[in-house]
Amino acid sequence: MTIRFDHVTKSFGPKTILNDVSFEVAEGEILFVLGKSGMGKSVTLKHIVGVMKPSTGKVYIGSTDVTQLDDEGLARIRRKCGMVFQQPALLDSLTIYENVSFGLRTPGYVRSLERPLTEMEIREKVIAKLRLVHLGTEILDRKPPEISYGMQKRVSLARTLAPSPEILLFDEPTTGLDPISTRAVNQLILELSRQLKVTSVVVSHDMACALEIADRILVLDQARILALNTVPEIKRSKIPLIQEFLEETLQDPGTGGAR
Amino acid sequence: MITAILEEMGSTTLFFGRVMKTAFHTQGNLQPILKQIIGVTLRSLSTVIFAGLFVGAILALQFNQMLVQYDAQIFLGGLNTSAVVREVGPLIISFLLAGKIGAFTAAELGTMRVTEQIEAIECLGTNSIQYLIVPRLLAIMISSLLLLIIGLMVSVGGALLVAVLYAGMNPVQYLSSIPRFTGVWTISCGLLKSVIYGTIVATVACQKGFNASGGARGVGRAVTTAAVYTNLYIVLANFMTSQILDSIHQFGEFIARVLS
Repeated sequence: MTIRFDHVTKSFGPKTILNDVSFEVAEGEILFVLGKSGMGKSVTLKHIVGVMKPSTGKVYIGSTDVTQLDDEGLARIRRKCGMVFQQPALLDSLTIYENVSFGLRTPGYVRSLERPLTEMEIREKVIAKLRLVHLGTEILDRKPPEISYGMQKRVSLARTLAPSPEILLFDEPTTGLDPISTRAVNQLILELSRQLKVTSVVVSHDMACALEIADRILVLDQARILALNTVPEIKRSKIPLIQEFLEETLQDPGTGGAR
Repeated sequence: MITAILEEMGSTTLFFGRVMKTAFHTQGNLQPILKQIIGVTLRSLSTVIFAGLFVGAILALQFNQMLVQYDAQIFLGGLNTSAVVREVGPLIISFLLAGKIGAFTAAELGTMRVTEQIEAIECLGTNSIQYLIVPRLLAIMISSLLLLIIGLMVSVGGALLVAVLYAGMNPVQYLSSIPRFTGVWTISCGLLKSVIYGTIVATVACQKGFNASGGARGVGRAVTTAAVYTNLYIVLANFMTSQILDSIHQFGEFIARVLS
């Protein structure tokens, strides 16, 4: 499933966060969005799922203009997307099992199936997704505050993967994770893209990860697209901000290495 | 200042309309509402009982001092119950509920908003208003009514204790004067006000929490503004409902006189 930004501008009062931004992400592609803090990376992601609406311009998922959808239409589109937030964003009042199975119980997901999943099938899916992010069944009955931040981030990823989305949006997916988990998450993004043709947009500061698994890298600066290129082209770039990111990667090789 | 208050009232009314529209246009599930009702009622029951007891007792003390001067102590039960049920009880108990239930709800929803939990719910294809707000708003409205009824009943008990233990009245004498001043109209007024105040507490708390932004400070701001606006709206609603209900009552009496 493709994603397309068509001359999107987003302003909060007098401050413009995105200024006439246009780009396209192909099916199965992994696009990394890089940029300094406050440059509109997370805002870009939130436009894709319609949590934010642009001041002007359009955002397409496939052939559907997300900006024109009502609540019901947005719910339909969001069923095809999965978003991993900067914070784990787990529901504190629910157990880990209930959090991961949340998306499997939504009316929209249930309607998309030939028959509703049995509780046993839901449990199997939950356990399988937790295994994907290197988590065991011992945490199923715990509440989010009872597990570490890193584990919460991985549970959040498992929750997003549970309804098998066609598009995955990651907002700083590896922040707060140990190097092993970071590598596992990067490997997972790569596998989902290559094997299941899941389209992924990853917002990150981690140039090392981007160089390892991205198909293309989009660099945002001063509300505009500074560069949108393949990894080899980014490596050859003479743009100072990109040079800065690359130099930091050389100093700290990071935790990439998925490929 | 007045424009800002009117704008706030407008946005609160629109929020209430949006929640009601969602509640009536989507498939309802009673279980989360019942869960919320039990949680909210149990959380506030002790506070309401304690407050109700003292509201009734304090008013009884005041009325007793005045009535003794005119040798009219036999009216204490009726006057006190009428004042508590119709005016003071709903007002003071709803202020307490605004502090207890309102603050809790605004803080809970505000924290969910700033930690992206609400956005996560929406991204999983769930209507956050339907999932989070409808059960809370309906539950607070129903719980507030229940708690106010309990509070008012306890306040009558508190007043009776003062009448018997402090003023030395016979309990039968005290209770027998209640129906003379507290009829169906007075009780209906008290209940109507309770419903209105409960709706205000629920709507403002949910609106402020749901629309919170800006981290921990934003949650603090949501809780503070929820408390301030709830109390302000309750005072305004009390003035307006008292005026309207008095007018209706007078009109009814006029019609009754004409017909007789």
